[in-house]
Amino acid sequence: MSIIKTNDVKKWFGDFQALKGISMEVQEGEVLVICGPSGSGKSTFIRCINRLEQHQEGEIIVDGIELTNDLKNIEAIRSEVGMVFQSFNLFPHLTVMQNITLAPIWVRKKSRSESEEKAMELLNRVGIPEQASKFPGQLSGGQQQRVAIARALAMEPKIMLFDEPTSALDPEMIKEVLDAMKELALSGMTMIVVTHEMGFAKEVADRVMLFDEGLMVEENTPTEFFDNPQNDRTKLFLSQIL
Amino acid sequence: MNLDYKKSLAWLKENLFSSIPSSILTVVTIYFVLGFFRGLFGFAMASDKDWLSVLNNMQLYMVQAYPEEDFIRVWISVGLALVFAGMSIGLWKSTEESSLSDVFSKFLRVSLAFLFFTVVAPTFSSVTDNDGLIQTEESFPMDTRLQLLIPSAILVIVFFVLKNLNLNYKFNKSDLLCFYLAIPIVLLWIVKLPTIQLDSSNQRIIPDPLMPIADTTKIPWTIIFGLFLGFYFIGSRFKDSKNMKRTMSISWVLLPLFIFSWIFKKPEIDLPTILGQDIPIFIGIFLIGALTITFINNPVVEKYFSAYLGILIAITGISLFISIPILLKSALLLLVLFTIVIPAVSSSSKGKRNLIIVWGVSLFTLAVLIRGGSSDTQIIVQQQSIFGGFSLTWLLAIFGTYVSFPLGVLLALGRNSKLPIVRLVCTGIIELTRSVPYITWLFFASVTMAVFLPEGVNFELVVRVLMVTAFFSGAYFAENIRGGLQSIPKGQYEAADAIGMSPFQKTSLIVMPQALRAIIPTLVSSAITAFKDSSLVTIIGLIDFLTIGKVIIGTQSIPVNFVGHDRENLLFIAFFYWIFTFTLSRRSMKVEKRLGLGER
Repeated sequence: MSIIKTNDVKKWFGDFQALKGISMEVQEGEVLVICGPSGSGKSTFIRCINRLEQHQEGEIIVDGIELTNDLKNIEAIRSEVGMVFQSFNLFPHLTVMQNITLAPIWVRKKSRSESEEKAMELLNRVGIPEQASKFPGQLSGGQQQRVAIARALAMEPKIMLFDEPTSALDPEMIKEVLDAMKELALSGMTMIVVTHEMGFAKEVADRVMLFDEGLMVEENTPTEFFDNPQNDRTKLFLSQIL
Repeated sequence: MNLDYKKSLAWLKENLFSSIPSSILTVVTIYFVLGFFRGLFGFAMASDKDWLSVLNNMQLYMVQAYPEEDFIRVWISVGLALVFAGMSIGLWKSTEESSLSDVFSKFLRVSLAFLFFTVVAPTFSSVTDNDGLIQTEESFPMDTRLQLLIPSAILVIVFFVLKNLNLNYKFNKSDLLCFYLAIPIVLLWIVKLPTIQLDSSNQRIIPDPLMPIADTTKIPWTIIFGLFLGFYFIGSRFKDSKNMKRTMSISWVLLPLFIFSWIFKKPEIDLPTILGQDIPIFIGIFLIGALTITFINNPVVEKYFSAYLGILIAITGISLFISIPILLKSALLLLVLFTIVIPAVSSSSKGKRNLIIVWGVSLFTLAVLIRGGSSDTQIIVQQQSIFGGFSLTWLLAIFGTYVSFPLGVLLALGRNSKLPIVRLVCTGIIELTRSVPYITWLFFASVTMAVFLPEGVNFELVVRVLMVTAFFSGAYFAENIRGGLQSIPKGQYEAADAIGMSPFQKTSLIVMPQALRAIIPTLVSSAITAFKDSSLVTIIGLIDFLTIGKVIIGTQSIPVNFVGHDRENLLFIAFFYWIFTFTLSRRSMKVEKRLGLGER
């Protein structure tokens, strides 16, 4: 059954139309990779899914709840949808442990000891348990991004959104973040990943989409997408990026 | 040793005499600095200066006309503050250590300063004689200078040698702080200074006999210091307890309120009012809050919660304008604040129980403070406020900051709000307050405010001044905080949104802590400004620390004859203000360093 369903989603920034009608579905447990040139609306689209941006037309239904202006719905959806940002956006005034336990304690109202136990488990999972008491500023970019993944996972989300998670990283740190994401994908998490890492898309994705100028121009399985692209725009994009 | 010498020579050359212009600049600067200190020392030592006008008036400086039979209250206030300080130093005991060499280098610095004084102080200084002519006289003869120079030189050498022995005994830094504080207490018992004494015919005995300094205050100071040490040890026993630290932090916030409303004020307590009014109000409001907390997760309550909150806010708003006991007004206000917070905090049964306890304690504290604060005082000072001198300066500085800081936070948030009316009102308050000079506001407090208050409502002048001060510095705080808010990257808001935080949680846990951290330097400079600006209240007839030195002491004629000695007092006052502001800015630098940890 589809956990995310969007129907003809349109969005304008002033006069500029960023999304020109996106309709798609994501099944539970599916890993979807969205790629495309910059300015194609791919980030805007996934930011609409947890309402960091507000779409103006069309409908978005996440886990059976339609996204409207109702604050209760928005908060409910946000606690089901984890998000990892390009620039990490960790809270610099809190330690790694506090960054991860903040939402479980305040939003999920769990006890501190339970949350900390869970946080240690997640830090182990992303491979940096020894950094728990440090501040984000003391970590490398790759470590920060893994903390950000752990922070999103601490809410036990059903869906994870990744908005260019490796774009701000040095090349040697990209791998450690991708490894953490692969592990997550294998565990059956529903994921939407905006990325230029084609290796990741080939290896992990169930489906790949190409966005261009606010439209979805191609949607296919990774093998078909890379070996037998249908659309001219896809061919051009792949020839530039590969 | 030889290498050290070469190194310092190289340092001098590199930093002070690297080029001809820099050498000239160095020499000129040194000339001016030396000239400044020579002038200062010469001024202080001239024989026409009567420093006893400062020393003898300490009591006046501190509490002005506070009646002597109630001095125990002043001592309790000071004692409580120091006991709290001792406890806190123990609780937050430093883990750093200093070696004996560090200690000696501190002593070395003090003796160097003394040596500097004996070398630099001028032999002659100018004196105004009885006819108003300026004459030169020998105020620091050579033999006196030698008498001081030799021991201070010996001290410098001794401490220099001791420092360079590299003694490796380590002391805890907090323990050392207690040791340093013990030094002035010991000095109180040993040092003797000339003191004003009157003979049987009420004439000043000249020359002034040598007496121990602070003869009347050394016993209370010693007792207080003993308590300080005791609580320091208790505190260090509990230094791992987070709850103790939290309790201590809150107690610090409440301590000045408690001191000013109960201890210093000695309120007149009317038992029937407490039984018939305060207790019913307390129980009633407490029950409303406790019931809300208990049933917050009940679906029916959840459904009507917003409506309930709206009604509550409306009632509180109206209550401000009708004549009901002030306790009821403030309790309603607290209830509103609490009710807004309730949905944001824990909903487990343990969490609820804790929240009810917090609610009860804060309401009780509020009731106690309001009862003390709004009662009449039993202390009678002729035609004046019981606050005068340093106690008034301190009251204005602390309350100015206490009330205006939260007000500033609220105004800043309001000005950034999406709701147009809230934004408009907050912007209006800020702009209106800032665009009028502080002195004008003081006149407003003393002359015009009565017109704007409901009939029958009348505040003491000090309270009215506190009100305008709160708004005035609140407006400045608000603009500083708004600057801090703008420095928070958009990504922080998005990250907080993405993990499902409510707007209240986002502001209090993510945005505000970072915004405040970013503006600590400006906040401290605002606090320092507020502290110094408190001296402007002299203009509306309140007698603060500065006024005592400038106006009151200059009029003390018989038998002590301090007329015309206000320059010494002004120098002392400047020094006194400087000690406080300098300490404050040093502390804030430390806090900044500690909080900056995560930003590296």
